[in-house]
Amino acid sequence: MKTVRKYFILWGKLTANSFLSILASRFGASIFLLGKTLRFLFFFVFLLTIFTKISFIATYSVAQAVFFFLTFNLIDTTTQLFFREVYRFRQLVVTGDFDLVLTKPMNPLFRALVGGADPLDLLMLIPYIGLLIYLSLQLGGIQFWSVTLYLILILNGFLIAAGFHILVLALAVVTTEIDHTIMIYRDLTSMGRVPIDIYREPLRGILTFIIPIGIMMTFPAKAFLGLLSPTSMLLAFIVGLVFFILSVRIWRFALTQYSSASS
Amino acid sequence: MVYRLSFVLWRVRIVMQLLVTYFLWWAIFSQHETLFGYTQSMMLTYILLSAVVRPFVMGTRTQEVGMMINDGSLSNYLTRPINLFRLFWSRDIADKSLNIIFAIGEIAILILLLKPSIILQANITVLLFTFLALVIGVVLFFYFSMLLSLLGFWTSEIWGPRFLSFILVEFFGGMLFPLDILPESLFRVSTLLPFSYFIYFPLKVYLGQLSVISMISGLGVGLVWALGLKLLTELLWRRGLMVYSSEGK
Repeated sequence: MKTVRKYFILWGKLTANSFLSILASRFGASIFLLGKTLRFLFFFVFLLTIFTKISFIATYSVAQAVFFFLTFNLIDTTTQLFFREVYRFRQLVVTGDFDLVLTKPMNPLFRALVGGADPLDLLMLIPYIGLLIYLSLQLGGIQFWSVTLYLILILNGFLIAAGFHILVLALAVVTTEIDHTIMIYRDLTSMGRVPIDIYREPLRGILTFIIPIGIMMTFPAKAFLGLLSPTSMLLAFIVGLVFFILSVRIWRFALTQYSSASS
Repeated sequence: MVYRLSFVLWRVRIVMQLLVTYFLWWAIFSQHETLFGYTQSMMLTYILLSAVVRPFVMGTRTQEVGMMINDGSLSNYLTRPINLFRLFWSRDIADKSLNIIFAIGEIAILILLLKPSIILQANITVLLFTFLALVIGVVLFFYFSMLLSLLGFWTSEIWGPRFLSFILVEFFGGMLFPLDILPESLFRVSTLLPFSYFIYFPLKVYLGQLSVISMISGLGVGLVWALGLKLLTELLWRRGLMVYSSEGK
């Protein structure tokens, strides 16, 4: 309990520093915020444009497709909010400054993964959550179990996202490469902007079982809509847990390969 | 080894970006023969060829100019008897050549693996117009990107505007879809912007969907944009040099 408290306080301090640092430049922060908003709006327009011509994609209505898109944005943005530090990790490795992290009485994975939250993503979450609540009411009301399952599966998606980020960090420790791998992750997850059921096989299977984007992005919304079987839910939790444990083990192995590049 | 891995992952990323868009459109067309006036083969041709057109038009090193201004290393170039614009044209040509070679190889592999029905344009006139549209796109993008970098003379926040421009170019340039599928009002807005000349216009010409008059007028408007951006960039360069303080050096 004491350790949890210690890390919570540490996270608070690191987050406060990160927020101050990013918001120090209001011009830059505003431009990035505008860019993020436009990116959301542009894909939203694209989605609606598609639905003006076709009423359904793989049996999903326009409202349901938008719900999937908003759920994707909720998970993606929350992930970026907490794990933004991963994007800055390369600098620590190539300069050898990661040595300083390793010598501190703090878990290096904690520092590398959640050591610099992004306030812009926190701001982006507000409209996403508002729109999700509004749309869920339109889709037939909010029920206790559907919301509970939705939130639990979102947490599971978050666990998978953490696993992906840990794998990216592990690769960075071994090879110092991070910029492209994190963007490959972003590109891959962007396939979850639409329900993965729309993709044809074998891609659909790959996105569910091999690279669990579907479990991460599509399953929560399907559970909310009552379209996910109990077996699929169980599978989702098993995949989430196994993926996370595996990624932590890979991280631990990667640390043994760290060579302190330029120190 | 480190740089080789970085290069390989960069190419993987490029292919991944293409596949994400390709599979999305492939899925959308699974239940329809024609959508928005495009057959599946036309749309997949557009998406696949955009992966070649994009590095050809948008492959650039001009973003480095902004960093050079901000960290003061621009001074090293100003003291040499070289024209910075020509230097970056040379760098861009080298960069584009490398990108194109790999992009063509990757597309060829993808075509062999995915076996999509694609359109091979055989009309010499259309191919000639496509080439001209590509050249205009290259010139336009060079000056557009250089313009963003020159903002470095007045602010150290050069990545924000570039990020914003990428979002705009991705949408209004037609990187995800042909612009004419958009609602009429948005499509009109997109034709007023220079971004449509980066991807959409050259590919629209290649697909043979434009009349000769439309192609000529499109090239004319593109040329005006290119000239306008060139003059604006040169003006900003001259003004920028007056306020340049070689900060950091």
